[in-house]
Amino acid sequence: MKQIPCKDILLFKSCLVSVEYPGIESSTRYLFDQLGIEYLVDERQSCCTGLGHYYDLFDQFSTTALAARNLAIARETGHKNMAVMCATCYAILKKACQTLEENKEIRDKINNIFEGSGMGQFSYQRGDFDSRSNIFHVAEILYNQKDKISNLSRIDLSSFKMASHHACHYCKAHYADTLGDVRDPQVIDTIIRSCGAQSLEWYDHQRLTCGAGFRQRFTNKDLSLSVTAEKLLSLKEKDVEVLVHMCPNCQMQFDRYQPTIEKILDTEFDIVHLNISQLVALASGADPYRVVGVQTHTVPVEPFLKKLDIDVDLRQKNLERSLVDEERSLVDEERSLVDDGRD
Amino acid sequence: MKTLKMEKNVLELAESINQDLKASKDMGLLKCGQCGMCTSTCPAARHSDYDPREMVKRVLEGDEEVLRDDIIWNCFYCYTCHSVCPVNNSPCLIIQILRQKSIDDGAGLEKVASFLAYGDSFLEFGIGSIPHDFFDNLLEDFGDGWLDLKLNLDDIRGELGLEGYVLPEKALCEIKDILEKTGFKERLDRIRRFKNEANTM
Repeated sequence: MKQIPCKDILLFKSCLVSVEYPGIESSTRYLFDQLGIEYLVDERQSCCTGLGHYYDLFDQFSTTALAARNLAIARETGHKNMAVMCATCYAILKKACQTLEENKEIRDKINNIFEGSGMGQFSYQRGDFDSRSNIFHVAEILYNQKDKISNLSRIDLSSFKMASHHACHYCKAHYADTLGDVRDPQVIDTIIRSCGAQSLEWYDHQRLTCGAGFRQRFTNKDLSLSVTAEKLLSLKEKDVEVLVHMCPNCQMQFDRYQPTIEKILDTEFDIVHLNISQLVALASGADPYRVVGVQTHTVPVEPFLKKLDIDVDLRQKNLERSLVDEERSLVDEERSLVDDGRD
Repeated sequence: MKTLKMEKNVLELAESINQDLKASKDMGLLKCGQCGMCTSTCPAARHSDYDPREMVKRVLEGDEEVLRDDIIWNCFYCYTCHSVCPVNNSPCLIIQILRQKSIDDGAGLEKVASFLAYGDSFLEFGIGSIPHDFFDNLLEDFGDGWLDLKLNLDDIRGELGLEGYVLPEKALCEIKDILEKTGFKERLDRIRRFKNEANTM
């Protein structure tokens, strides 16, 4: 089995995490802090191009050149272990890294661009990275901490039935590197069980894609949603209450479209969608609105929180508290201005 | 001595796919035995006329018309076929390459035209955006809660203790410069010219 790091990690920003489910990032950072995992987020890192790449808009060469720049940032900061929150970032970075390692012609072309534009610091030298031992998904880092995660758990989840959705671009695109088995990775399931919840051993269509299909969601919506519906129906059959994700695009497909699919099929799915980091953070007692970020979900997470005896008015209380804090600091500021005047 | 006049190499298309930057190492395209594992596990095959085994067969027969066949645009890129193929072939990667060839050829330009805004956003902000052409459709499906998220994203990120996600100016200049030199900007301009012409027709 591959070695999974717990330090020198560049937590790789994801476009869909940033704008759709930022709670995935805050939950991951919260957990890394709790687990003593040393990591860095670098503001210079660009998006991996993944969505554009699989919309067929980006070409492989441009994607690889931008990956080389991001890898150089990781190298320069001494954080050569990339941990991604999105399965597409995972597949894109692995492919680009392999190309930079193995294809001299492409490597030279990209390095020439860097050197000819005063960006020689981004040049890639053979041996800089190894796609297998430097590029990871956050779920793998958490999997490696499963015993510590059991100890962190503060909330009783034992009565909940959950299932995993192992994103295709994690488990199928570079299947030789998938932790566990490509057919049934069990990475997410193992972490779910560490949190004390039940995870289904198997369900129909377990290996099936979320249905987003990158462009299919936009240009072939009926085709896209019929695949998503197929998976939701098999989860309903097994009375699954929480589907646990490792990719913001899959999460978006299920969470954002579930109400639409309910209307089309004239049925109800009582299924909440959480990323694995969000679930572990919740289990370890993190604030649902200040850390887990449930306020950006389309399928309301509140009914699930209520079953866990978590105060769903927390957000309102947080907001009121921060208003009071703000007022207090304004008063303090005025007071110090008055004091300054006296001096 | 008589020379045998050969027809155009029937494997020219397959060989050019094998040499493409997107192809995987040792991709078994030429070893495909048409077993059908790909089609039996393919979600697009189950829900539409798309058939990965047929796609590979056409490539091996040198059928260039496949580049202009709408059906190649139905693949989900889910890599299921890629992960089960007994000879290490990858219909998923082959389709990605065919679509690129179709775009280079001109026929595929209309398929990427509606995604142009993603590329423009990338050049400006170092991060792609939801293609504008589809925003209204998404809003209709996702509802007002999603619009609230779009309008209040910075506040929500603040609530979660996260800083802004836009890159610093210097990084943006670097990315723009790189994408100009890799030919990506020109690629977008070509798609834009096609889109503008299509709109005025």
